[in-house]
Amino acid sequence: MPKPIRYLLYVAVIALLAYNSVYFKKLDEVKAGTGAFDAAGYAKDFWAKKLMPGLPKAVELGALTAQLKTEKDKAFEQHSHALGIGNIGYFLVKGKGTVTDVSENEVSVALSVGGEGAGNVRIATEYIFGNAVRDASGAIDINAFTNSMDFNNVSAEINKLIRKKVIPPFKSNVQKGDRVAFHGAIELNRGHLQLNSIEIIPVSLQIEKP
Amino acid sequence: MKISIHYRIALFCIFFGIGFIGCKTKESEDEPKKIAIVVSTLNNPWFVFLAQKAEAKAKQLGYESKIFDSQNNTAQETDHFDNAIASGYDAILFNPTDADGSIVNVKNAVAAGVPVFCMDREVNANGAATSQILSDSYSGCVAIGKYFVETLNKKGKYVEILGMVGDNNTWNRSKGFHSVVDFYPGLKMVAQQSADFDRNKAMEVMESILQAHPDIDGVFCGNDAMAMGAYQALVASGKADRVKVFGFDGAEDVVKSIRDGKILATGMQFPEVMAQTAATFADAYFKGKRDFPGKMPVAVELVKKDNVENYAAYGEKE
Repeated sequence: MPKPIRYLLYVAVIALLAYNSVYFKKLDEVKAGTGAFDAAGYAKDFWAKKLMPGLPKAVELGALTAQLKTEKDKAFEQHSHALGIGNIGYFLVKGKGTVTDVSENEVSVALSVGGEGAGNVRIATEYIFGNAVRDASGAIDINAFTNSMDFNNVSAEINKLIRKKVIPPFKSNVQKGDRVAFHGAIELNRGHLQLNSIEIIPVSLQIEKP
Repeated sequence: MKISIHYRIALFCIFFGIGFIGCKTKESEDEPKKIAIVVSTLNNPWFVFLAQKAEAKAKQLGYESKIFDSQNNTAQETDHFDNAIASGYDAILFNPTDADGSIVNVKNAVAAGVPVFCMDREVNANGAATSQILSDSYSGCVAIGKYFVETLNKKGKYVEILGMVGDNNTWNRSKGFHSVVDFYPGLKMVAQQSADFDRNKAMEVMESILQAHPDIDGVFCGNDAMAMGAYQALVASGKADRVKVFGFDGAEDVVKSIRDGKILATGMQFPEVMAQTAATFADAYFKGKRDFPGKMPVAVELVKKDNVENYAAYGEKE
């Protein structure tokens, strides 16, 4: 092979290697991270693929409160989920009842399943915050997340879905005396159990007009 | 067989050396393992409590331990880590000074074969520490945020006093609080300033904020020491009765102040649970366990006037 062509080939190979060895990126792009976590997408996926299909496994709230009164530890062990250590446990629950009051922040319901006087609960319609829905299903592992803020943002996005999809049609139609069926999540403190002020963060609500 | 004098000396040294190493190994096995407890600061009673509980649990499990105070200084923390590694400590129970600045210390210790168990504060590197036992600050402050909105009736002017800006807890608490409060446009934050988790600084910060904003309705503080400092400033300016103060930690004076109606609420952390879990994890590590959870959150509970009787300083009533 003639010398000039050989040198040209050497130069081409060196140039190719050099080009593929060095990358330039904008500093702000690197700082922002190329693989930013999509909490909204994760929450939608969780809602459709894990939460909704898991609703049939929800425990009947009237039966749960009855069990909590007699065998608290067993009820927590069987039905609650928690991510770490502590008194707080989250339960995925379902139930039916009659609306006794509609206020600015919540709807009060007298449970009918579980017998007469099974208890009164509150369905939150204003303060949809916290991790109850994310954690009650037991389907998300904190250690699968690279940082805790991503994990917390999933909760915020799930709560946004509830505010957007679940609350508006319910809040605009519900009236005192209506029969309602619900699925949702509740938070209970094992150390200081308060069964007379249970608040449900709803994930599914149906109104049956009398 | 004739062995030269040089070979005899060499053989003697080898046998003597093996014997010496054997004795030393036996001695090391008999000695209790040592646990270093490196804490961000002992200038705050909450961290003193955390360190003391870790020390007590380590002792109960049969280990020697020593508390090192980093005085909120990452360089001092590095010295403590170097000393602990050089002095043959077998594990470190660690409360970092800085989520980013402390990573290198954790990595150095783990590389030297010394497991590190973080307590209460995290480092921003997944898998760097053997395990991190952390308060679920975000969730605790979501609960405080909700109570804040309820008690201020969704409107008013408020101030946020932040902790140390390099600590993840500062931002987890702030973000948890804002994840609720920012939904309500009637609530306006007129000032947000850091007081480094320090009571005196918080008092000074609050005094200066009150000069510019004398008409505030609420104050959210990233820890209880700062809540007490802010409350002192409000008392001095005659506004303590109308401004609602919220803290985070579950410190003794704040639990008492909630009972007395001076402070509205706090997020109760459980330092004893975190310290005991960290020491128990170290014990399990010495016994061969290696599969620890990367992060172990510890639930935070909202303490307010109607449930304060269930709680004592830094935890539940015995």
